[in-house]
Amino acid sequence: MKKEIAITAYKCKQCGRIHYPFHDRCLDCKGRLFEPIKPQGNARLLAYTAIYNLPWGFDQRFLILGVAEFENKVKAMGQIKADSIDSLKTGMVLRPSWEPVRVQAGEDVYGLKFEPIP
Amino acid sequence: MPVDLELEAVLRPPQLPMSPYPPKVIVLANGKKMVIRQAVREDVPAILKSVHPCLFIERDYYDIVSARLYGELLAWYRYRVKSEYCLLGQVDGYLVGVVNGRLENEKVGMSYHTLAIDRGLRIGSHLFAAKMEYHMDYLGQEEVLIVAESPIGFRRWMIEYPLEMTTIPHELGGGDSYRLTRAIYLKAKPRLVVGDRPVPQNLLDEAEAEIKFADDDTIRERIAGLKGR
Amino acid sequence: MRDVAIIGAGMIPFGRRDEDSLMDMLAYASLKALDDAGLGDKSVDAVYVANMGAGILQHQTSIASSLVDRLSLLPAAADVVENGPASGGSAVKNGLLAVASGYYDLVLVVGGEKMREVTGWRATDFVATMTHPQAEYPYGITLPGMGGMFTRLYMEKYGVTREHLLAVSLKNQEMGALNPYAHVEMTLDREGIFDSPHAVVNNPLAADPLHLYDLCPVSDGAAALVLCPLELAKKMAKVPVLIAGFGQATDTHTLQEREDPTDLKAVTLAARQAFEMARLKPGDIDVAELHDAFTILEIAESEHVGFFKKGEGGKAAAAGKTRFGGQIPINVSGGLKARGHPVGATGVAQIVDIVFQLRHELPGNRQVKNARYGLTVNFGGFGNNVTAFVLKRVEP
Repeated sequence: MKKEIAITAYKCKQCGRIHYPFHDRCLDCKGRLFEPIKPQGNARLLAYTAIYNLPWGFDQRFLILGVAEFENKVKAMGQIKADSIDSLKTGMVLRPSWEPVRVQAGEDVYGLKFEPIP
Repeated sequence: MPVDLELEAVLRPPQLPMSPYPPKVIVLANGKKMVIRQAVREDVPAILKSVHPCLFIERDYYDIVSARLYGELLAWYRYRVKSEYCLLGQVDGYLVGVVNGRLENEKVGMSYHTLAIDRGLRIGSHLFAAKMEYHMDYLGQEEVLIVAESPIGFRRWMIEYPLEMTTIPHELGGGDSYRLTRAIYLKAKPRLVVGDRPVPQNLLDEAEAEIKFADDDTIRERIAGLKGR
Repeated sequence: MRDVAIIGAGMIPFGRRDEDSLMDMLAYASLKALDDAGLGDKSVDAVYVANMGAGILQHQTSIASSLVDRLSLLPAAADVVENGPASGGSAVKNGLLAVASGYYDLVLVVGGEKMREVTGWRATDFVATMTHPQAEYPYGITLPGMGGMFTRLYMEKYGVTREHLLAVSLKNQEMGALNPYAHVEMTLDREGIFDSPHAVVNNPLAADPLHLYDLCPVSDGAAALVLCPLELAKKMAKVPVLIAGFGQATDTHTLQEREDPTDLKAVTLAARQAFEMARLKPGDIDVAELHDAFTILEIAESEHVGFFKKGEGGKAAAAGKTRFGGQIPINVSGGLKARGHPVGATGVAQIVDIVFQLRHELPGNRQVKNARYGLTVNFGGFGNNVTAFVLKRVEP
């Protein structure tokens, strides 16, 4: 079953700036009241890379990561499901999902994954 | 040492026919040209002189790798191993790396060791790739069984190719083997196997004329010194 | 506020120092700086130790207390300063403020890191602990990975090319090969890492589009400085180097929250503050040590501190303007790229190198002629905490 994307972003009730991750005060207006919001829709790729020298805990040859912006302006990092970085382009539309992104102490850790929409 | 040739005929394992490895030359990151060529049995004593100082270097498991390599090369020299080969990397005639392996049978190769005597130039990567190239492209094998004895080896071979895990025991006695299949090799080849052929005659002549080796202290400094990379 | 000068500087060769513990390295560098200052058996009032990872890598804490004991500097005040890869810059700032305020007269600042104690996987993971624990770290992001994303954006926006990055890499390796303190004393060859088809193995992708030789090595090392009031410094044997300007600024923890991720605001602000305090302009600087953990950073920082306009740094590097003997020599030491990057040591080492330059002590193939003003930029996180120093030679 497809899992819900378990990310909460925070919209400043005073100026409307969207934050992810959480801040105690708005980065623009210092407001302290936020409306929790969920990322909506697909996402647009803002930045990406393929990392070949991975940290402990990752045994694959490389990992493609990127930052993408959802339709409701939430921006977040995630792993990108693609065989090659050559198939990616800044600005392309990605489909988000919530899947295991690594294993820690034998347990799956869930996080954002993005898949290019053909 | 006197040799009883009649007894030798019993002790020496049969050898499988092996096509030669054609030499190649690679430009390294520092601009130096490394010739990779196949060693002949008579080269072994000279090679062992460079392997010897590595026996006492704990860093990155050089002691284990070089001790085993020393024994394997000696076994080849004294006809105690089946179908072994050895490839050399030489820069300006100096030995900078050694790889070896053998044929388990016509289809399956057994990778032995990779020893980089100069570091920070991906010499080990180039030599390991040459070894795989030999098994696949020149000996026509279907698979090579491999284990790593150092974290660097694990990263370079198991992850970079990436190799396939098996439950087949490796004759080096470690854990189960990883396997390079022909399909994995062909996929990895464009990014891991490089080199120009034929080797210009002057470079080949220089390499074949004499296996030069640095003195023990220089070898130790290159491998285990402050600037070791 | 008193003017503060550097009267002692020392460092140990960076590299892979298997035989030395972190404490050994901190002690060796400290003694070199104390001896360089000509302090003899005299003690100091305070010690600031820059270090990022002893708690993780060596499972050792309170290393400043341990160091003063080992160096027989008791009962000097002693603190550890941890600010990621900008720990060195922050520790020097603490020393500067302590002396400037009049509270202390003699301060030792030492930075050190022992990173080669663990495998590359563990070292990469250790450095990645400075990323956001929920929004970044779990995904496997690394600092080179952030550098890769930044590089692609910079290429797309400003037309930086691999040729530009290559110019920085070749330059810094060439200079590092002349520096006995450098980790990597090896020149690189353009054919071997770029032109030849063999470069695909020699110089593979590390964090697309950054390649292996765009990245600094993982190093062990330590560097130290002795600070005192300028008036006292003038009575000492060595040419004093005045800390003429200092700046520090921060930016968002995650890259994604920056309005323009190619804008290194903290670098701009830190450098601006340092220049304003020194009453100098970028054009006054004779020699600079910028934080080139990745080649792109030297290019981007050279623009953000004001040496070049945005988008011109790459071209300037390729045109040789940042070489030794060029318009503004950058990273004559070899930079992080070749000198190495023991994270806690780097910010201190950069200043040590500029001190050597401003005291005119280096051999001719590395000494910038008549150097009077120097700049350092120490870049923490991915630009989320940056320190900058303007240093000035005090004529005897």
